[in-house]
Amino acid sequence: MTRILLHSRVDDCLSAWRSAGFRVLAPSKRNDLTRFDEVHAASDMALDLVLPERTIKDHFFPQTEPLLNYRIKKQAIESDEMLPPQQKRIFFGVRPCDASGLEIDDALFGWDYKDRYWFSRRENSVIITIACTRADDFCMCTSVQLSPDSTKGSDVMLHPLKDGRGWRVVTLTDRGKELAETIASMLQEDASETAPAASVPVKFDLDKVTSWLADPSNFESHLWKEVSQRCIGCGSCTFLCPTCHCFDIQDEGDTYSGIRRKNWDSCSFAMFTMHTSGHNPRNTQSTRWRQRIMHKFNYYQGKFGVNSCSGCGRCTRQCPVDMGITETLQEITNLPR
Amino acid sequence: MTQDRYNSSSIYNPFPMRVVAKREEAPGVRTLKLEFVNQEDHEFFTSNYRTGMFGLYGIFGEGESTFCVASPETRKDYIECTFRQSGRVTTTLAGVDPGDIVTFRGPYGNRFPIEKFEGKNLLFIAGGIALPPTRSVIWSCLDQRDKFRDVTIVYGARTVADLVYKHELDEWKRRDDVKLVLTVDPGGETPDWQDHVGFVPSVLEQVAPSPDNTIAVLCGPPIMIKFTLNALGKLGFSEADVYTTLENRMKCGVGKCGRCNVGSVYICKEGPVFTAAEVQAMPQHDL
Repeated sequence: MTRILLHSRVDDCLSAWRSAGFRVLAPSKRNDLTRFDEVHAASDMALDLVLPERTIKDHFFPQTEPLLNYRIKKQAIESDEMLPPQQKRIFFGVRPCDASGLEIDDALFGWDYKDRYWFSRRENSVIITIACTRADDFCMCTSVQLSPDSTKGSDVMLHPLKDGRGWRVVTLTDRGKELAETIASMLQEDASETAPAASVPVKFDLDKVTSWLADPSNFESHLWKEVSQRCIGCGSCTFLCPTCHCFDIQDEGDTYSGIRRKNWDSCSFAMFTMHTSGHNPRNTQSTRWRQRIMHKFNYYQGKFGVNSCSGCGRCTRQCPVDMGITETLQEITNLPR
Repeated sequence: MTQDRYNSSSIYNPFPMRVVAKREEAPGVRTLKLEFVNQEDHEFFTSNYRTGMFGLYGIFGEGESTFCVASPETRKDYIECTFRQSGRVTTTLAGVDPGDIVTFRGPYGNRFPIEKFEGKNLLFIAGGIALPPTRSVIWSCLDQRDKFRDVTIVYGARTVADLVYKHELDEWKRRDDVKLVLTVDPGGETPDWQDHVGFVPSVLEQVAPSPDNTIAVLCGPPIMIKFTLNALGKLGFSEADVYTTLENRMKCGVGKCGRCNVGSVYICKEGPVFTAAEVQAMPQHDL
């Protein structure tokens, strides 16, 4: 038995979910920026996008978030953690690459000390992913062992129907099954054929790349300088990446009261690693670019058994100087061996 | 143990610590002695702290800075930290007075395996403001002196004024179970300076401690480490018997913020204590 959800029933689903206490977020266009935002009607959604410019990471690891608040009284201080509100959320129309990114980052935020800010949001969120039937020239999920219909990180998969009326619904987790129950009356049994997944050509050879990166003699390769010459160190690729997780901790307030915040940071910035003495282990843009590639395709793999890239291609698609991971990994793939 | 506590409350929420003493060590360098405000924080520290671990010391409104715990694992009723006044946080920390409250997060990282040092000669080598991490190990060993054989401390700074822990240097000098070798860089001596003049690596070669059954603990700026490792090599020390501690910029201290790695090694989790052999295996251009 296969169940389908028609486009025409999405508004009913939204009402049902809202009455069940969920906030629903979906790709939407706001002020020329496409990102996940709260939606109240199907017409608020921009589901025709290959990918929104911003990732759903923003809603799990926000650009800035309060960690704790503090109050300083005469010779006494108090500080309390500020966990995110326990709001149940549904992310509708996520792409498989973004959903995979969440699962990739679970490893980092969960190992050893657990980051409760990340997990309190994860535990309250249901991910409804729509398999891709279209891709653009920057998509590269198939190069990192994922696919346009990969289920990694998703609770429910929606496969677009060939006739364009809606999606075939596949529940993947208990959380997804529970959610599907809340809209059971809006689903219908139907054996309609699904549209084929997008064709995403493989852009580089991941095995060749990872084995080249694993060779210590390549750490000093001239390739790092060549591929990073254009980099202006703006950090856009890290901020738009569904898996980049590096952060800074800053206080906002004065010596009486305030908030300690976790803010996005980027390995592209010189200050990221600058010592007090002035010494900087990664003091050039090429060493910082090397760190980014090594972290994603060597270090992360060694620590957590998975690469820290889900192939969304935003780093290349939105780079102001037309660089990105794809080009570097193609260069590495094409090196004479 | 550490994880349990931090899974039930924020990993980023620090302990309040009361400043009980403040000492000027050298120009711009101060030591703060901190005591626990909360009994449960003290118990947590006592059951987790081992020499070599580090912490993030802070002032709300300014931020946090990473330093080693300079006090030994044999004295856990307080935490001492020694730092050079340099940026925003250290400038504020330099201005606190006894009675004030600062914050501490930790103890984090790995440790010097001093139980493996038992029955061996110990050679401590430190340069400048790197005596504090070394001093934590020194006192952890001197407080159980009979477990170790000969103890030699080689300590150098740019000038006489830059030597830190001067009162403890005097104490070690007076002890007959410690051999203390002090040196200052050429030009850094005062007219009444009685000890060595010269850089640590060359003074070390003159003193020529035997590598037999000896563990070396070496802390200092990268350039000193590099040349001192050469000197130790000439003296016959194996890199597996030389321990050091690395420092990198850190924000979280718990393996998440993504900046302190040297190659694939996270200093905050797998370090900060490494053998020289382990450091040599890291990509040298990422140090």
